[in-house]
Formats: sequence, structure tokens, C-alpha cells
Amino acid sequence: MQAELEMNQEQDIQFKQMKKKKSKKRLDSWLLLLPALSIFLFFFLLPLVFLFITSFKNFDAATGIGHDWTLQNYAKFITDQFYLGVLWRTVKIALITTLAAVVISYPVAYQITKVRGRMKNYLTLLVLSPLLISMVIRCYGWVILLSNNGVVNNALMKLGLIDKPLTLLYTEFSVVIGMVHVLFPYMVLSIMGSLERIDPSIIRASQNLGAGPIRTFFSVILPLTLPGIFAGSVMVFSLAVSSFVTPAILGGPQVKVMSFLTYEQVSTILNWPFGSAIGFLLIFIATITIIIYSKLLTKSEKGVAIQ
Amino acid sequence: MSYLCLENVVKTFNKTEVVKKMNLEIKKGELVSFLGPSGCGKTTTLNMIAGFLDVDGGSIVVDGKPVHLLPPNKREMGMVFQNYALFPHMTVFDNVAYGLKLRKVPKSEINQRVLEALEMVRLSGYEKRYPKELSGGQQQRVSLARALVIKPKVLLLDEPLSNLDAKLRQEMREEIVDIQKKVGITTIFVTHDQEEALAISDRIAVMYEGRIEQVDTPVAIYNHPQTDFVSRFIGEVNQIQGHVVETFSGNQCKVSFDGYHQVLSCPGTKDTLIDFYLRPEKIQIYQEHSEGLRVRVERKMFLGAKTRYILQLKDQQFIADISNTVLNPDQIIEGQDVLAVWNPEELLATKK
Amino acid sequence: MRKVLPKACLNFFCILVYIFLAAPIVVVLLSSLTTTEYIVFPPKGITLRWYAELINHPEFMQSFTLSIMVALGTSVISTIIGTMASIAVVRYEFRGKTAVTQLIGSPLLIPSVVFGVALLQFFSWIGLAASPVALVIGHFILTIPFVMRLVVASLVGFDRSIELAAKNLGAGRLRVFFQITLPVIKSGVIAGAIFAFITSFDDLTVALFIVSTDVVTLPVRIYTYMQYQYDPIITSVSSIMILLTVILMVVIERILGVGKVFSSKN
Ligand SMILES: Nc1ncnc2c1ncn2[C@@H]1O[C@H](COP(=O)(O)OP(=O)(O)OP(=O)(O)O)[C@@H](O)[C@H]1O
Ligand SMILES: [Mg+2]
Repeated sequence: MQAELEMNQEQDIQFKQMKKKKSKKRLDSWLLLLPALSIFLFFFLLPLVFLFITSFKNFDAATGIGHDWTLQNYAKFITDQFYLGVLWRTVKIALITTLAAVVISYPVAYQITKVRGRMKNYLTLLVLSPLLISMVIRCYGWVILLSNNGVVNNALMKLGLIDKPLTLLYTEFSVVIGMVHVLFPYMVLSIMGSLERIDPSIIRASQNLGAGPIRTFFSVILPLTLPGIFAGSVMVFSLAVSSFVTPAILGGPQVKVMSFLTYEQVSTILNWPFGSAIGFLLIFIATITIIIYSKLLTKSEKGVAIQ
Repeated sequence: MSYLCLENVVKTFNKTEVVKKMNLEIKKGELVSFLGPSGCGKTTTLNMIAGFLDVDGGSIVVDGKPVHLLPPNKREMGMVFQNYALFPHMTVFDNVAYGLKLRKVPKSEINQRVLEALEMVRLSGYEKRYPKELSGGQQQRVSLARALVIKPKVLLLDEPLSNLDAKLRQEMREEIVDIQKKVGITTIFVTHDQEEALAISDRIAVMYEGRIEQVDTPVAIYNHPQTDFVSRFIGEVNQIQGHVVETFSGNQCKVSFDGYHQVLSCPGTKDTLIDFYLRPEKIQIYQEHSEGLRVRVERKMFLGAKTRYILQLKDQQFIADISNTVLNPDQIIEGQDVLAVWNPEELLATKK
Repeated sequence: MRKVLPKACLNFFCILVYIFLAAPIVVVLLSSLTTTEYIVFPPKGITLRWYAELINHPEFMQSFTLSIMVALGTSVISTIIGTMASIAVVRYEFRGKTAVTQLIGSPLLIPSVVFGVALLQFFSWIGLAASPVALVIGHFILTIPFVMRLVVASLVGFDRSIELAAKNLGAGRLRVFFQITLPVIKSGVIAGAIFAFITSFDDLTVALFIVSTDVVTLPVRIYTYMQYQYDPIITSVSSIMILLTVILMVVIERILGVGKVFSSKN
């Protein structure tokens, strides 16, 4: 009887100790997350929530943000031809950028996966280097290249192809050029990833069955890398839609896009509510892209499985 | 007086008991193997001893002191991991010196002890290498030196040889036993290779589904298995059914194996069937003999020093392993009838 | 023949792309050497005059120092906090784990302009003025998803038995982390730190909303300067930044190897 009691007590103590250990583990994980989470809640989530609230306030010329609730900011955007035009231009530029990025990235990705050893490292570094050098500087380089007496115009005139300078800078064209340059590495990395995942024996099998290199490329390699192209495109598109630096430097007020509009409303016109509403419409577009993308991706994966 | 003592140790993962009230006593300097099929709880038990897992009940006592509530870094146990677990960013020397540095051993002594330990595992001259630059066997030795250099109370080895090729395994296991005896360290050796366990252990603990089935010397385990599981798990066995035709006093009975009559000591009642286990190397076959079980040689396989004969009795197959010096395999032709003979004492009664 | 032609076409095309990639950078570097008062390419004559001219523009140096400090601060804080969070996410099971990872990854989905505006509004409400600290907070949010991605990748393949081995040899939890875990995941952590540094140093969008007249980061300084001026000073500042980046990359390559930084696996 006595012994049994002692046993029970001992087990009780052990049990309590173990409980302590378990809850300590849970505490550990939250302690590790605490700094990141608190900064996120306080300086990311909270500001965005407040901004969202602002987008439903009226504009007050004196203070910027009025006190009344309204849907006016969103209504203004979707009923005004000018703003819809900006939205369309933003999407159009992003689409063209994405398409151009695919076209110029694919051959480069293909070439890099073909070479081996040191050369591969150097080429990868070259392709990634745009990520390392300040975006402002790279865009500035394009300003020098594309301006009225810039390199491109001068060269074209020397060749006698044109006789007065073309307006290249501050056009949709210059914005697209800059964006392709900035976003190119993301596309290359994505395509390289899918190219490297192709089992070399599949290519050998295709050649073995009598397909030439071009035939092999179009009937085997290209279809297998479609998911990579797709993933890269979504990434580039959503970055292009929301990018600010490139359109600001290479487009300026002449080529307004959504992000520039937001900036302009907030910092020069001081219409905070309207600026916020534009910002959230931009978030909406970027999110929709991602959602459509993941839907399509699961569909295409099923398609592949059926084949 | 036992040195390491497990008392009613229990481990539960998600409500299933993986280790069930385990009791084990190990003497100082003894080498005990944990042997059992995959998933029987060997690693779990070892990890509880090392302190990587908390016990869910019971206690672990080392040298008279309970240790099961201490964190692993306070237990003074040396562990050698299956994948060696060498620190990839440290040289061989630094790997071995790590435990000593933590114990604030003076520099000159560290140097001396590390060099000694490396010499013991025959790796002198490899101090400056990184683990990546060593072969599997060499990495294993570094791991052993690292565990031993801190003079732990108990050495724990979790399938230390399973990543090595067959020849190296044999060499390494002899080396480990040599070193273990030289140092005189209490050791637990986890393996699922029974040959390994039989070859090196002072005692073997055969485990099955979270329980220790039998703890005994290798000879006793092999010759006198206490449970069905142990009989089947250790070595190969034939299962053979006999018919009790007569019983005598003193638990003696006469059993017929398809007409091959033998008198043996076993509890049985007349006209019942009993299952026995019989090891393949205990069977002899003769072309002509006064008595025996008449079987047909289905196939023979040359295995080097011995030959394996597959024997067919009606719809049942037996195997017999016979040394080639005892029976020249050329004398036996596949398809021929022979007489299988064994000593009745070699029959292991099943425990039902 | 059938094999050679496509290959030649491919190589030719790729060289064009490489020229396209290098063009704006080369143009900036070369035009900084011009003797003219305005930017021209190819440069007329060769001089280092525009570099010397920087002495008359101490504001660039100020901005440069500020940017370096902010980038260093961001990099250190983001790497430490990001590594802690990565460990929690990889090593522990807890309720709300997916929600937490999604939240920390979400800045990738939010356009920086919108985040910048939101931060500006929030900072003005709580009365936090433009300061290096405010910049570091903003950049922390921008960089932490990258840091976590890289650190998580290096933690996922981590063999935990070496931690057990260290504990077994007598190391406590902190020792195990600093002497075993951290050295092994070093390349992922360093890659994260570099990424954070570059992102912070390069950021224009968020900084544009946080800066004030006396707290101006270098990208903002360059951006505002080139709105009104078109003289080669910008190109010399930019060239210095490019050269610094190249030197940084060479140093890192020497210490770690490019492959290591970008693959973030050992
Ligand atoms: N962390 C864990 N959570 C849940 N179940 C576990 C855990 N670790 C082990 N188990 C279960 O406990 C049982 C015993 O595992 P253990 O690793 O001890 O086996 P083992 O005898 O070492 O096997 P092997 O020879 O394959 O190494 C297994 O059924 C395993 O699935
Ligand atoms: Mg195991």
C-alpha cells in the first residue's frame, strides 16, 4: 500500500516534469518566432490594414484624409476612362514584358544548361549580375542609351536608317526594355530549373527514335519545360505589374502606370484615400494573377498525369 | 552488481507503446548487443539511454545514480551514430578534441589524448583531414575515437557498421571489440545483423516489438532460445511436425517424423502433433543408413565451405547445410532420395 | 551541317542577349570618363574629372554612408531574426505554422509602392520620423522573405545527428547552435545576409516614402538628382557603386565560391 502510494507520487512527479518539457518546446518555437512576427504584425499587417481603411475614406483637401466612409475612390477609378487607360497600359506593358522575357530567356537558359564547368558558372553569374547592380543605375544606363542624342539614335542616324532622332525614351517601349532587363534573371532561373530537371535519357530516346535535334526540341524539350516557362511568366508578370522604379525612370509622367499613379496621388496630389484605393486595386490584380496561375498549374499537372 | 540498469523503461509515441516496460542489467565492462528486426525499438531505447528521448516511465541508473532526468550533455555517454555524424566543418583533430574542449581540458593534454585516441583507431596522420576526405570506414573510426576520448561511462553504438561493405564490416567489428576490451568500457551495440551480434557480444538482448525476449550469451541464445521468436530470428530454422506415438514417465516420449522414430524429452500426450525447430546444420544426409527420414534432394547449392541441400518431404521443404569435408556434394544427385538424420537433442520444441 | 547551323544561330542570339544585358552598365561606366559637361556616349576624351567633382557634392557621400549603414543594419537584423524564424518553422510543429509562413512570405506579393505608402501613413501616425531606424524597419520587411527562403533551404537538408553527437559530447543548447549548427548552415545564412544587404542598398521604392530632406539614401539621391540634372556626376557615382559591387562579389567568390552563394547548399 505504502509502496504503491510512493510509486504513484513518483510517477506524478515524472509526469509533471514531462509536461513541463513539452510546453517548453512549444514556448521555444514561439520565442524564436516572436521578433519576426511582432515586427510583421506591427509594421506590415497593421499599416496595410490602416491603408485599406483609408481607401474607404473621403478626400479632404485640408488634411488629406476625411472622416466619412465612401466607396467613391474605387468608383472614381472604374468609371474614369483615364484611370482605366492607366490600368490597361500597366497590364499591357507587363504582358509584353513577359512575352519578350520568355523569348530572349529561353535560348540563354538552354545554352547555359548545355555548357559545363567553369563556363557555366561564369554565364550564370553574368545572367544574374543584373540582380546585383542597382536598379536605378541600370535604368539610368538605358536613359543614356535611348535618349534623343543617345547611342541608339546616333547609331541609327549614322547608318542612315533614319534622319531625325526617334522618340525612344519616356515611351512604353523604353519602359518595356528596362523591365525586360530588370526581370530577365527571374525568367532565366525558372526556365533553367525546368531544363535541368529533364532526364537526359528522354532526349536520347527521342534521338534514338529518329528525331533530329530541332524535332526533338519542339516535340520533347519545349513541352517538358512549359511549367518552367509558366512559373517564370507569372513571376515576371506580377513583378512587372507592380514595379515602380523602371516606369518611374524610363517612363516618367508620360507613361503612367498604376504604381506611379499611386505615388503621384500620395506624394504630389496628397489625395491619400484615392492613392490607397489605386494601391489596393494593384494588389488585387497581382493576387488574381497568382490565383489563376495556381489554378491553371493544378489543371495542367492533371493533364500531364492523364497523358 | 550491475553498472547500467534499465527499470521498467517505457516509451510511447502517439499513444502506441514503442518500448514496453523494459528491464535490463549490464555489468561493468560488458558488451551487450541489442538485436532485433527493424522497428522493434532498438534505436529508441538507445536514445533514451543517451538522453535524446525522454523516458515515459521507469528509470535508467548508471553506476548507482539515476540519469534519466539529466539532459544528454550531462550524461557522460559516448555515442557512435549509424551515419557517423562527424562535424563537417571541423578537421579530424577538432572533431575528436571537441568533447575535451567542452570539458576545459588543458591544451597540451587535449593534444596528447586526441593523438592517442587516433592512434588507437589507427588513424594517426589524418588529423588535418576533413570528414569529406575520409572513406566510410575511416569516418567510422573517427567517430569511435571521438566518443571514446572523453572516457564516457557507457559507449553506445547504433548500427555502426551498417554503411560499410561486407569485408570492412568484419574488420571493423573485430577492431571495435579489441578496443572495447582494451579500454574495458561498458558498451551497448545495436545491430540487426545476427551474425555480427553472435560474433562480438558478451551477451545479446534479443528485442521484439518493444520487449526484450531473451538476454543471454551468444551460445545460449543460439542453442537454447527461450521463445519462438528467438528460435526463428536467430539463425535459420526448419519447422518440422512430429506425431507422438508413445509416452513414457519423466516427460519422455516417442515421436514419429513420417516413420522416423525418435525418443526425446518433451511434454506431450499420445496421438498429438508437436512442432519442432531444427537448425539446418544439425541435419545429416545419408544415401544409406539404418534409419532416417526419407526425403528427396530437390536442389543443391554450393556455398563455399558447405553445401545447402533443399530437401522435399511431401509438400514440405527443409534445408540442410552440410560441410563439404563431411559430405562430398558430388556424391549427391539432384532428384535422388536420401535419408535425413539428426540427433534428437537438437530439436527445439516450440513454445505455444 | 544540320547540327552546326542551329547551334551557331543559338550562340549568335545568346551573344546579342549578353550584349543587351551588359549595355546599360558598360554605358554608365564609360560615360563617366567624358570630358564634356553633359553625358555623351561614346565619351569624348578621357578624364577622371567627374570623380574629382564628387568632392564638391558631399551629399552623395552622406547618402552613401547612410545607405551602407541602413543596408548593414537591415542585413544583420534580418539575418538574425530570419534565421531564428527559419529554425522555428523547420524544426518545430505548432498550430498556425502555415499561417505564419504565409504571412512572412507575403511581402513578395505586395507591391513595394503600396507597402511604402502604408508605412509612411503608419509612421506619421505613430510619430516616427524619417530616420535610419525607420528605413531599417521597412527594409527588414522587404528582405526577410528572401533570407528565410535561403536559410530554410540550408536547414532542410541538415543532418541533425551531428547536433545529437555534440550534445552527447557535453555541449549545451547554445553551444550546439553556435559551434555546430550555425557553421554548417553558414553558406545559406551568408547568402541571405548578402541578399538582404543588396536589396536594402538598392531599394528606391520604399525609401522614397520614408526619407526626409536630411535622411536620403543613395538611390533616392540619384533618382532625385537625375530628375533635374543631366551631368556626368551621376555616372561617376554609379560607376563607383558598380565597382564596389564587383569587388564585393569577387571577395565573396574568394571566400565562398559563387556556386555556393547561389545554390545555398553545401
Ligand atoms: N519520433 C517518432 N515518432 C513516432 N514514432 C516513432 C518515432 N521514432 C520511432 N518511432 C517508431 O518506434 C518504433 C521503433 O523505432 P526504432 O527507431 O527504435 O526502431 P529500430 O529498432 O531502431 O529499427 P531499425 O533497425 O530500423 O533502426 C518504430 O515503429 C517507429 O516507427
Ligand atoms: Mg534504428
